[in-house]
Amino acid sequence: MMKAMKTTISTLAALMLFASGSVIAQQSDYQVQQDFRADYNEITERINNAESSDDVSEIAGMIEQFEADYSGYETLLNAALYPETFQNRLTVLRTNLAGTERDFNTINELNERISELQADIDEMRSQLAQMDEDSEALRQRLERSSANERRLSGLVTQYRQNIESRDEFVSDFLENLLNRYQAMDSQTQSELAEASESMEDDPLALLRTILSEYINQADRDSGLDAPDYLRMRAQHAYFVTVWDRIGENMSNTYASDSPVQARQEITDLLAAWQASVDNKLWNALSTAFNQNGIELPAFTSADAFNNALNSFVDNAISTAREQNEEADFQLYESFSTYWNGTVKSDWGEYLTTSNVLSQGQIAAIDVKLGDWARSAEPVSNLMFILFLISLAVIIGLIVLLVTKKS
Amino acid sequence: MAKPKLITLSLCVALLFGAAACGPSIVLQGVDYAQPIESVLAPDANAEVHDQRYAVKFTIAPVLEEEGASSVDEIRLIRNSAGYYFLTAAGFNNVYVFEPGESELSLKRKIEISASGLQQPAFNQRDGHIELVDLGTGNTYNLDQSGRR
Repeated sequence: MMKAMKTTISTLAALMLFASGSVIAQQSDYQVQQDFRADYNEITERINNAESSDDVSEIAGMIEQFEADYSGYETLLNAALYPETFQNRLTVLRTNLAGTERDFNTINELNERISELQADIDEMRSQLAQMDEDSEALRQRLERSSANERRLSGLVTQYRQNIESRDEFVSDFLENLLNRYQAMDSQTQSELAEASESMEDDPLALLRTILSEYINQADRDSGLDAPDYLRMRAQHAYFVTVWDRIGENMSNTYASDSPVQARQEITDLLAAWQASVDNKLWNALSTAFNQNGIELPAFTSADAFNNALNSFVDNAISTAREQNEEADFQLYESFSTYWNGTVKSDWGEYLTTSNVLSQGQIAAIDVKLGDWARSAEPVSNLMFILFLISLAVIIGLIVLLVTKKS
Repeated sequence: MAKPKLITLSLCVALLFGAAACGPSIVLQGVDYAQPIESVLAPDANAEVHDQRYAVKFTIAPVLEEEGASSVDEIRLIRNSAGYYFLTAAGFNNVYVFEPGESELSLKRKIEISASGLQQPAFNQRDGHIELVDLGTGNTYNLDQSGRR
């Protein structure tokens, strides 16, 4: 009895399994095609709406599953999709996903660049702030220490070194900007512009801060001399050169809404900086020459300074030719020593890089100095005296011979 | 007198057959008309269906009338390798087999499937026959232009 029941149950179970298998086996090719299209569209939509690299990985898994699910129907789908094919559709999905992945990689790279840039800017700001603080402290100590000359000299040296360090630091930053932005193509500019919208600070703002501090530095009366202002002007000229090369790209990148205005702001600050430096430079140069006994005509520009030098030397040459006095030669020596020993050797590089004097203008003064030397050199009477002595000796001998004969 | 006339008539008939035999008569054999996948078509207000993929358009009004239905949401249509169209729809009792002719589809056979009507019919192209699946009941029927196999 039990055995018969067991047999009946087993038979029923087998029948049910067969029946359910039969139901499962029912399929509509049309439905397979529709499901394929729906799954394909869903994956395409997921690719289009992917928001992260994790999404890309997940979709790659979906495509694998999609291929596994439908590879058994490849012939059917090839017929249904004609002229496309099942493999073609898979390739399209994988190509689109690869494109999305590339986009994410680009975005990630851009985000990394922005993060690095932000960190660089923060570091720059921090270091510049520290340098400006040190500079201001030194300047205040300079003002308080005017009574003690030796101490004052030490502080000025320290202040000067502080400014030089800051200049080097800014130059390195500008060099860095030059490398980054000089050859940047417009696509990278627009990608970076989009990514940089999230930045709290940007390199343009940092440049404005640097320039404002340069203007403040030049405006302060801090006991600096002509070479200090020449170096400032040289630094300004380097800044202008760099800005001319990267200004457009940087403005398009970090001020994509108003690039022209952003460029103009920096250009205006550069002009203000030069005006502040020049305001001190011409007086400082004039004073430096005066302190060495060289009274140049007044000048307030680079061309006027060159004219003043030439005018001074031309007049000196003319005077020396006319008078040929000891004083002329002393003036020549004084000018020559200062020109060769200080102006050319100590300031020469700054003079040319700051566009105050060109190499050609310096060489022209050198040529005139040669003329001046020849004109100012006192003419010697020794030969004339020797001639007279010789003549007297000859006359004496002749008189002696005539006297002896007679 | 009657004998020569008969001979003349016979000669004319023979000449006619001979001329017909000499005319253009190319026959391409082994044509496979099979659609790989059925078309699911929604009739418009005039009970017309249009299969864009296989470029065929016709009215199903006579079929609806035959089935006693006023309308259907969609019909299932597939063509077998011999070139016959198989047509049915949810609620139909039969599958209609049509033979294409010049601007017409003429009923070749009406195959009765279910007295209670098909629930979710679907045609599949299978090797040598059309498979009709009723996804609603799980029943499967193998068909050709002659009827059930």
